Amino acid sequence: MAKEIVAMILAGGRGSRLYALTQKTAKPAVSFGGKYRIVDFPLSNCVNSGIDTVGIATQYQPQKLNEYIGNGQPWDLDRLYGGVHVLPPYQKATGSDWYKGTANAIYQNINFIDRYEPNYVVILSGDHIYKMDYGKMLDFHKEKGADCTIAVMEVPWEEASRFGIMTADENGTITKFEEKPKEPKSNLASMGIYIFTWEKLRKFLTEDEADPNSENDFGKNIIPNMLNAGEKMVAYAFEGYWKDVGTIDSLWDANMDLLNPNVALDVWDDSWKIYSRTSGLPGHKIGSKAVIDNSMITEGCRVDGTVIQSVLFDNTRVAEGATVEASILMPGSVVEPGACVRYSIIAENVVVKRGAMVGVRPEDMDDITKWGVAVVGEGITVGAGAKIGPKAMVVKDVKEGEEQW
Amino acid sequence: MVNSTSNALGVILPNAGDNLVPELVEKRTMASIPFASRYRMIDFVLSSMVNGGITNVTVIVKKNYHSLMDHLGNGREWDLTRKLGGLNIVPPYAQSTVKMYNGRVEALASILEFLKNQKEKYVVLSEASTAFNYNFKELIAAHVASGADVTMLYERREIPEGCKNDNHTIKLQDGRVVELLTNDYRPGVQNLSMDVYIVERETLITMVQDATSRGLVYFERDILSRNLQLLNVQGLEYKGYTAHITSMKSYFDENMRLLDEANLDQLFPVGKPIYTKVRDDAPTRYAMDAKVKNCMVADGCVIEGEIENCVLFRGVRIRKGAKVKNCVLMQDTVVEPGATLEYVVTDKRVKVTADKNLCGTDTFPVYVAKGQTV
Repeated sequence: MAKEIVAMILAGGRGSRLYALTQKTAKPAVSFGGKYRIVDFPLSNCVNSGIDTVGIATQYQPQKLNEYIGNGQPWDLDRLYGGVHVLPPYQKATGSDWYKGTANAIYQNINFIDRYEPNYVVILSGDHIYKMDYGKMLDFHKEKGADCTIAVMEVPWEEASRFGIMTADENGTITKFEEKPKEPKSNLASMGIYIFTWEKLRKFLTEDEADPNSENDFGKNIIPNMLNAGEKMVAYAFEGYWKDVGTIDSLWDANMDLLNPNVALDVWDDSWKIYSRTSGLPGHKIGSKAVIDNSMITEGCRVDGTVIQSVLFDNTRVAEGATVEASILMPGSVVEPGACVRYSIIAENVVVKRGAMVGVRPEDMDDITKWGVAVVGEGITVGAGAKIGPKAMVVKDVKEGEEQW
Repeated sequence: MVNSTSNALGVILPNAGDNLVPELVEKRTMASIPFASRYRMIDFVLSSMVNGGITNVTVIVKKNYHSLMDHLGNGREWDLTRKLGGLNIVPPYAQSTVKMYNGRVEALASILEFLKNQKEKYVVLSEASTAFNYNFKELIAAHVASGADVTMLYERREIPEGCKNDNHTIKLQDGRVVELLTNDYRPGVQNLSMDVYIVERETLITMVQDATSRGLVYFERDILSRNLQLLNVQGLEYKGYTAHITSMKSYFDENMRLLDEANLDQLFPVGKPIYTKVRDDAPTRYAMDAKVKNCMVADGCVIEGEIENCVLFRGVRIRKGAKVKNCVLMQDTVVEPGATLEYVVTDKRVKVTADKNLCGTDTFPVYVAKGQTV
């Protein structure tokens, strides 16, 4: 029995721009939004769109991601035929190789996709936060009789040079594609979401692999090659929230967006739930002296201090007299009495000891150009009275009273 | 086989205690009453069994069990989707020749053939009207060590007001039960049975067969108390935290008692999780200007108003300007702008419309039934 469509999530990148957060974790497994991990978004989108066969191509620090995905049950992807599969590179009779690029990651899994004999393949990225019905995009792809459909959205002109930029005619047919152009001719940016007619993609992947000069990348090689060959490529306009969370700033921004009622990212909407593997802890407890303002708090948390505009993951503790402001506390982290965490991302199981200060408000900076979000990596202890400056990347324990900028 | 599983199977009677809280069980069983912000009563005994290596559990349902079936599903959340054993829900046969069971003996008689075919040496029997987090391996070990015929768990406490007509107390001599009273009403601290028993499976089968042939119905009154000379019945004191649901008042009080973190930590200690059905709610969102003091809140809530001394279940909405104090609000309750609630228990999907004022007292909380709009 053939599947109409198979989804492939590209999750092989190291996520080096998230440095302290991806020391021990693949980027798609980085925590997001109080109880999710980034990969929950494309996975939930797949399930909600009716796609029941998903491959996740991974090669960097895969253990946590493997364990997290498990048999796929939290996403309803434990299926007799199909379901979710984590796909690391493997040894073949002809040799073995790491995934050399995004296209190569799919090329190396041609056999996986072929098993399901799909008509179409949707290629997704493991580091985007958005809600999208891929079913509608597939309808569009079929309606247009396209070989490749690329989801696009309008971005501000000044940011256009950071994206893959499309030029499309009035029918949506793509006439030009430029990867990160210096002088963009359009502000339609590729969202890194592609639907291909599998037969076509298979052909281009095979040709690309045979080209020794290729970087084996979708944006740099496959898309331009298809366009040059005159294949029918169309742009599918997406409206709504979408964010690439590949950097510390964008990850922090996207978390803060959840707290902004004017932003279109709504995880409380029951008609398009985002699923995740849950902690199973009891409800959170807010103490008598706590102050909570504009924040997200989840199961197992204990808050006795002040929490302002922050996202608290499961099992975090904010002690009496502690302040957490405009920050993200990932699972199991503890902020002890009198400690202050501002404009920071605190990773899993970090302990911020008594009186320690992490991060600074932008308005408290003399030189705003030196400001940025402070990051404390997984399992770190920030000693009593220590000070962590803005933009810091803490990957080693900080001793009592020490200052790190 | 490695010793990760216990050599005991579990049997839970989810309808036991239904009579104590008629309002709450109108459309459910005692076992499926929501408790402690995100759980149902059965989650506690079921998780305790699973954590204690009991992975073959039978739930003998009697009536109003749709909510319980929906909650338990195939038992996956408790890791009870097993090829061997697992969760086994037994509804009554809808046959004119089979009458509804009353006592524990009749309930067990209905699964006699099943019991005969099992491999575990022991049977652990429990109800679901008490929330506790217990390592059942202790009970099994104590039973095996003493060589008793039956071992029962008891607590040293006063008899709760709500179950003056539905309790068992015991008198002990060197750990052996020498007297078992039904519906004890003495004041002061007693040895109150928790209605948790362990018996060798073969022994239990014999007991049930004998009792059935003589038309006996009740395990405690008809089998145990009459045969204390013959049977070696041991009492094992349970010293951990318990929450008994014996009346609407106690339901309210036991939820409130968990606002004390010392109690919360005892019922939910690290490393002994209580499992429950997953609802995939987003984290709870506190809006700007929300005020919150001393509350336990599950996921999926949106708090825009004020809450104080409350237990909120999943998906509750407190709109702007609403004030909620000393309340237990079950799943998906909505309190609209300007409404004021004090000492109120709302059941699932209750809606309190704008500017309404509902007020009970600490001794008599107001209860609003499932799905009602005030």
